[in-house]
Amino acid sequence: MEVYAILKIFWWVLLGVLLMGLAIMVGMDMGVGALMRFVGKTDGERREALNIVGPHWDGNQVWFILGGGAIFAAFPTLYATSFSVFYIVMILLLFSMIMRPVAFEYRSKVAAHKWRETWDWVFLISGALPMIIYGAAIGNILEGVGFHFGWDGQYYQTESFWGYLLNPFAILCGLTSLSLAIYQGGTMLMMRGTDPIYTRAKNYASVGGLAAVVLFLIGGVMVAGMTGYALTSGNPDMPANPVSGQTVELVKGAWMGNYAAHPILWIVPLLALAGMILGVLALRAKKPILGWWLGAVAWIGTIGTVGVSMFPFMMPSSDNPAQSLTVWNATGSEYNLIWMTIFALIFTPIIISYTSWCFYVMRGKVKTPSAQDDHAY
Amino acid sequence: MSMMIDPTVVDLSRLQFALTALYHFLFVPLTLGMTFILATMETVYVITGKQIYKEMTQFWGKLFGINFALGVATGLTMEFEFGTNWSMYSHFVGDIFGTPLAIEGLMAFFMESTFVGVMFFGWDRISAKAHLVVTYLVALGSNLSALWILIANGFMQDPRGGTFDPNTMRMQFSNFVDLIFNVDAQAKFVHTSLAGFVTGSMFVMAVSAYYLLTKRHQDLARRSFRIATLFGVISSIGVVTLGDALGFIDVNAQPTKVAAMEAIWNTDRNTVSAPWNLIAFPSESQGRNLFEIGIPYVLTPLLTHTETRVIPGINQLVQDAKPRIVSGIQAMVALEAYNKDHADTQALAVFKANEKDMGFGFLAMQYAPDQDLKNINTTNLPSILDKTAKDTIPNVWVEFWAFRLMVASGFFMLGLFAFAAYYSLKNEMEKHPVLLKMALWSLPLPWIASEFGWITAENGRQPWTVYNWLPTFISASSHTIGYMAFSLVGFTLLYSSFIAAELYLMFKYARLGPTAHHGHDAAAAGGGMAGQPAFAKPSMDRK
Amino acid sequence: MKAFWNFLGLLAIMILSLFLAVITGDYGPWYFAWLVGTTMIVLIAAAGAVMFEKQEEEQQGKKGSIH
Repeated sequence: MEVYAILKIFWWVLLGVLLMGLAIMVGMDMGVGALMRFVGKTDGERREALNIVGPHWDGNQVWFILGGGAIFAAFPTLYATSFSVFYIVMILLLFSMIMRPVAFEYRSKVAAHKWRETWDWVFLISGALPMIIYGAAIGNILEGVGFHFGWDGQYYQTESFWGYLLNPFAILCGLTSLSLAIYQGGTMLMMRGTDPIYTRAKNYASVGGLAAVVLFLIGGVMVAGMTGYALTSGNPDMPANPVSGQTVELVKGAWMGNYAAHPILWIVPLLALAGMILGVLALRAKKPILGWWLGAVAWIGTIGTVGVSMFPFMMPSSDNPAQSLTVWNATGSEYNLIWMTIFALIFTPIIISYTSWCFYVMRGKVKTPSAQDDHAY
Repeated sequence: MSMMIDPTVVDLSRLQFALTALYHFLFVPLTLGMTFILATMETVYVITGKQIYKEMTQFWGKLFGINFALGVATGLTMEFEFGTNWSMYSHFVGDIFGTPLAIEGLMAFFMESTFVGVMFFGWDRISAKAHLVVTYLVALGSNLSALWILIANGFMQDPRGGTFDPNTMRMQFSNFVDLIFNVDAQAKFVHTSLAGFVTGSMFVMAVSAYYLLTKRHQDLARRSFRIATLFGVISSIGVVTLGDALGFIDVNAQPTKVAAMEAIWNTDRNTVSAPWNLIAFPSESQGRNLFEIGIPYVLTPLLTHTETRVIPGINQLVQDAKPRIVSGIQAMVALEAYNKDHADTQALAVFKANEKDMGFGFLAMQYAPDQDLKNINTTNLPSILDKTAKDTIPNVWVEFWAFRLMVASGFFMLGLFAFAAYYSLKNEMEKHPVLLKMALWSLPLPWIASEFGWITAENGRQPWTVYNWLPTFISASSHTIGYMAFSLVGFTLLYSSFIAAELYLMFKYARLGPTAHHGHDAAAAGGGMAGQPAFAKPSMDRK
Repeated sequence: MKAFWNFLGLLAIMILSLFLAVITGDYGPWYFAWLVGTTMIVLIAAAGAVMFEKQEEEQQGKKGSIH
């Protein structure tokens, strides 16, 4: 295997890490947003809930931006194709994502009940919808997506967005992702919140965690029985051109192939289940910090499971399976990946250190802001 | 050859991109400038220890926060819109264009967004000096963001650092130094960043002028006015200098943009006396200006910094494009043959010989029978050449007037800042209410200049997304009109309600001024909480 | 010990500035201009504020009132 192939795998792993970071950190904020109306009955309680993620949501959201940038640079063709095929769904995701920063900044700046009530609904939508779409997109990708390429690299889509929305398996994946976000958000509310938010969050997070267990198991059974894709010929060192150069077969149960070949990989889905179940137990034992980390493990396991099942596929084409996007044919050039690696190696430790410092500076429990104060979120 | 995308969809995609980018760019310049102005105010606070500068930092910081949220929100759209609407573009240049965007996230946006939380909420949690460092990091982060975005944009304007690879059918990253030190990117970054400084200065100056006129919060307003005018006058000089540099750069890099910007139809060989058009009514159908007022002896030295360099006119540039189109058609036909059979070394050789013109082959595709360049023969070639060559020129009317509105606003602001700074330095500002009123009512000018600057830069790049390499009409995603209508209507509704909420809050808090902001702090003042940051106050207590 | 850390910190900033100056000075004259220009703008604006305080004090002095 050449350097290029190693770089391709490295960036596939890194993309996975970014998606996990996105799911854990942004998912947590979205969970808080989705739960806010339920854990907070009064305006003061809702503000307490908001201020728990107040100083960090913006930093966390960068995971989303960074995820977009990394897909664009490291997997240009995947970026070009996936966001276009899922157009309507992606636009809905964008709409809800762009409402969120505005809601944070503007909600508490006007005291009128109607104003705040409106933004509280925005928090619910912009918390729940993106997580459902995030999961549903992954569900659709597992099932294969209707697109193919012309000789010049122009892509063509052949499936209507209804197919992507009204799809039982995709909805199941969307709900799994929402449950995990509610779990993670609830845990965060417990970590920095006080009663009554604490107790309500504990109950919602436990339900979220248990729902995730059930949905994940059902999803697993469905994936095992689903028609997956198998790469019959393809070369890890091939130039990154999805138009030609590989052959692909549709096989029932193909997504289980990697587990059959390497049984040790079963550890990944088990990790997801363990994280969810132990997490709920930790919350019941009033150990939210432990619960938070177990929730992170659950996300890592869940996204890891998708990655391991599909490898080396990234977005299979149901239209023309030979043009499926894989780790080998959808990446950036070797030169580009080298530069991206250099930047990632330099900046990741820097980012981790200053992000930790900021969390350290802003640590501690959050109290309910006083009613007349309009300067916190 | 290839199925073409519905031209209406391309137009709607362009409209959507322009609307979302112009909207995003309402908030970006203020962020670029305000962060450094806040850092300046806080620096004075740390040096002199005077509380008023802390109050200033917090008050202007609050207004900045209202703006910042929308900048972040609308920036999300930009990061993903290349993928959702410009699929072929993203595939074709993502390997080189995506990289600066990714680095922007890694190096700049992460820094800005993480520290902005501490900047707003961390006043009582870290020392004054540490907080000052945080404010500077936010300022640096937001401007580094602009740097990487404009490096990406520089590649669209003057593609350097990338090479086309016939095996992957895309442009690939090949030279990092060429990419980041692209002179267009360099000058565009400084121009844009300083334009942001001007925007921030104008904002602070105008709101301060309002307080001075209404005789409220004068302590805060007079100090803010001083800082803003000095900041503004030097930044304005910088913006003008860099604007001039960009013109000079574009004479070499984008002659079609320059010719359209100045509405030069015919090459004037008499370079010394060539007139610079102050006013012109360009007519594209007639290939001339229906009416023009020119100032002789200005054009050549202004644009080329010489007296002798010839600036090609639009009519000549159209003729110059024709041989490139012929060569481009050969390149693309050979490229298709090579793609069907990678053993076809002859096709590869033909492609290589004509590679630098392949974009012109793409451009001719829309006029080829069945959009297939192979169908072009000696009979239909002349008419295809005529139509394609005309397409290489951007919309002259838009380019000429967008450029002039930007320049006029810029020079007016420079003059205003100069007077305001002069009287502020003499501490006589309040004796000149007319100037104060002008400062207040000029508030929209930096936004007008920025928006028209964007239009000048991006309309002038047409018909290309990547200059001379990839035409805009090929770059778009193949959506239906229904899809585009859905997203356009959604963006319009969302963005309109956002701007309504933003303006409402901005006016509300600007009118309230800093007193209201410190209303409840006064109660705590006795308890050693004076100057407690309003942002951090309510929410946290340390365990 | 604190002085030592301060020294190290300032040294790091100096080395970084020199490095940036050399790189941008060679390859990116406009980037270099931005670094110098922005520093200058911030310093001049801050100096303007300090001067304002001086002017205020003088005016207060003339009026004979004690600040």
